[in-house]
Amino acid sequence: MTRILFSDKLDNCVAKWRSAGLTVIGPVQEEAISRYAAVEKGTDLSFGTVLPDRSLKELFFPQTEPMTSYTIKKNEIETTDFTPPQGKRIIFGTRACDASGLAIDDPLFGWDYKDEFWFQRRNESVIVTIACTKSDDFCMCTSLKLAPDSTKGADVLLRPIVKNKGWIVEELTERGREAFAIISEYLLESPEPAIPTVIVPEKFNLDTCVAWLQNPENFDSKFWKEISMRCIGCASCTYLCPTCHCFDIQDEGDTYSGIRRKNWDSCSFALFTMHTSGHNPRSTQSARWRQRIMHKFNYFPGKFSVNSCSGCGRCSRQCPVDMGITETLQEISKL
Amino acid sequence: MTENIQIAQQNIYKPAIMKIVGRHDEAPGVRTMRLEFQDPADHEQFKKTYRTGMFGLYGVYGEGESTFCVASPETRKEYIECTFRQSGRVTSALANADIGDLVTFRGPYGNRFPIEEFHGKNLLFISGGIALPPTRSVIWSCLDQREKFGKVTIVYGARTVADLVYKHELEEWQERADVDLVLTVDPGGESPDWKHRVGFVPTVLEEAAPSPDNCIAVICGPPIMIKFTLISLKKLGFDEANVYTTLENRMKCGVGKCGRCNVGSVYVCKEGPVFTAAEVSRMPAADL
Repeated sequence: MTRILFSDKLDNCVAKWRSAGLTVIGPVQEEAISRYAAVEKGTDLSFGTVLPDRSLKELFFPQTEPMTSYTIKKNEIETTDFTPPQGKRIIFGTRACDASGLAIDDPLFGWDYKDEFWFQRRNESVIVTIACTKSDDFCMCTSLKLAPDSTKGADVLLRPIVKNKGWIVEELTERGREAFAIISEYLLESPEPAIPTVIVPEKFNLDTCVAWLQNPENFDSKFWKEISMRCIGCASCTYLCPTCHCFDIQDEGDTYSGIRRKNWDSCSFALFTMHTSGHNPRSTQSARWRQRIMHKFNYFPGKFSVNSCSGCGRCSRQCPVDMGITETLQEISKL
Repeated sequence: MTENIQIAQQNIYKPAIMKIVGRHDEAPGVRTMRLEFQDPADHEQFKKTYRTGMFGLYGVYGEGESTFCVASPETRKEYIECTFRQSGRVTSALANADIGDLVTFRGPYGNRFPIEEFHGKNLLFISGGIALPPTRSVIWSCLDQREKFGKVTIVYGARTVADLVYKHELEEWQERADVDLVLTVDPGGESPDWKHRVGFVPTVLEEAAPSPDNCIAVICGPPIMIKFTLISLKKLGFDEANVYTTLENRMKCGVGKCGRCNVGSVYVCKEGPVFTAAEVSRMPAADL
């Protein structure tokens, strides 16, 4: 018998989790954009969109984050360590692509030097993925060999039941079981059928693309210039990407006191790699776009055995000039 | 993820505090600073980990951090020396700092020159302009244990006589019988009393024609100098595997996270900054 969480009990669950000390986070619609944010009531959650405009990344790797603060006195510098906000949280209703994005970035933040800002949050978060029952033209998880009901990065998987009355609960990890034990009184055994997971058509053959990218001859292909000609270097794709992790370190303050911060940065920007001398290893937009594609599908998997893309499609969906990973890989697979 | 990933019990972005104990103007806009650790624990950690070739992020709170090599050798770990050209916000703040002022340091990061593999070999150091500091760190590592190496040749050039850095050390090397120093400035950069060579580094190197036999070459310089010097070394018969260089890419984190120092699949901050010419030739040339 399957266990069901009925959606009319979501409010009670949110209250239960909150009283157990968990911060409840989920997809919310805020005026023009949707994103993952903390909620007080189950009714604040919004599951209507295919996926939130902004990815889950920002809850683990915020747009800007203080790392140390400093106060300078005569012949002395006092520094304070910031630690990421402590406290357990449950992220209810992530999409499979967003949850996968976290698992993809774990090895990057963990190799050799461990970034505690990332892992503190990872260790304290319960990820509840809802399998997708709809998709749009930009979704491409299946092309990345993932699925709309992928359990990668998730602690619990929920499958929607007919008429959106609730979800079938599949606990995947100990952490997921603990979180759902808190709301066990609202989990009912019932033989409700799940809505079939959406079928996301494959948009390109990944293996063909990767083989093309791995061929050193194609590094200097004129393809890169052609495909990136209309890129305006706005970096929206990298900021919205659930796996893009590049950052800058900047001080905010004055000579006497302030904060050293980690801020999102992007390989789309010319200044990203510019040397002091003026020499720039990636001096053109095509070189920068090539780096982004190569990094995601050639270099990153070479290092960490996983593609740095979970197929959410945000890069294409929200690109102001209609280019993104999908278009690029589709073109590559035709070459 | 069911298992908690073990977190290092420290903030990897928190720098050590260093006091400026000495400074020296090398050339117009170029300054060397000697820094001492304030916290003995930080110093112990440095002594344990530092090897010639590694780099650090030097910073001034309120202005930010910049990446330079550690210009002092692994044979002298009581302090850190760095040499930089004043050009941006951080380097201007560093240049304005006085003896006794406090600055920040994160590191040492990256890989190193495998100096023990150089034992018993002849050494050829080739450097241009502001790139002498990383070479100097290797030079002193070897000169501080001179008996372990064969012939030592240093070829160093700058645009003008004024732009030569470490002038006092150049004099010292000039006077040493166990060091062969070839100095040059670019055509037009010589002063009336300049007694050394005039010409670009690769040309002067070919004229000096050091033998590639049992010889390790270490080259540091601007990308254009490296490009042509590698061609000259090839002409002289050097094997790419015996030629070392450092890639001085822009970096922010220094620990393989922030993404900007990548050349192809290589994270310069972790797998470099020291590479053999053979390794560099496998990287995509257009991204160097």
